Amino acid sequence: MSSDQVDTSGFGAYAGPVLRAQRDGRDVFTFEIADHHLNGADRLHGGMMMTLAAIVLGQVAKDAAAAKQPGAETRPLSVNCDFVSAGEKGDKVEGRAEVTRATRTVLFISGDLRVGSRILMTATGVYAIKEQDGK
Amino acid sequence: MKEPLPSPVTVTPPEGWRISELHDPFEAYVGPLFEREDADGTRIFGFIADERHVNERGAVHEGMMMTFADAFLGGAANRGADGKSCVTLSLQASFLADAKAGDLIECRTKLDRKTRAIVFVSARFSVGDDDVMTATSLWKVLGER
Repeated sequence: MSSDQVDTSGFGAYAGPVLRAQRDGRDVFTFEIADHHLNGADRLHGGMMMTLAAIVLGQVAKDAAAAKQPGAETRPLSVNCDFVSAGEKGDKVEGRAEVTRATRTVLFISGDLRVGSRILMTATGVYAIKEQDGK
Repeated sequence: MKEPLPSPVTVTPPEGWRISELHDPFEAYVGPLFEREDADGTRIFGFIADERHVNERGAVHEGMMMTFADAFLGGAANRGADGKSCVTLSLQASFLADAKAGDLIECRTKLDRKTRAIVFVSARFSVGDDDVMTATSLWKVLGER
């Protein structure tokens, strides 16, 4: 299964890497929990978990905007994360997200993070679509 | 209490601020983070964004903003729960404006409600006089029901 790294920006690369692969025709984002991603109780830090959700939802938003209009950029307006269960060092986390609705200017994205069949986090995001000239 | 964890880069706190003692490896990794007390004793938290924290548009990444929120809203929940350990149940962030590398981003928290088992905390994040993010959150007090 081939994969490529997504969100190679400063923080995406610093907190990641987050990889994207195709499985059953869908994008699956993967991330492995290392020592520096943990909290003081040796679980995946909530901030890192939300960062991962933001990267997955943000990438799906970006792809959806680009499919509608080449060169369009997206900007997060709101992200909501629910902490369903904890992740531990060495866990391989998988993220998936889909477009719930796309209007001309706004995208609604919904997704989750899992380890195996166990859900760590459910997340929704609302993104603004910006034209390339910054409107 | 264990020794605080070091951050990988050194940033001198602005005048009036001190470096927060961090015990979560991920917070130390993205830090240093700062804190100070206002004239009326209110605790204010801050960090200076650098190139590690930005997204591809050059704005501070929403993941970093939410990590900063998780760190200090959690502290407010913990104090609200009289020092008992709390875990995040839910956090919602609204992104009002971009923060940039070099900005000092400040966080002011508010304890909205506390029950025996659940704490509600909101916060406002600003750069200078401009709000850049608001967040609301729900915390579970461990061991309470």
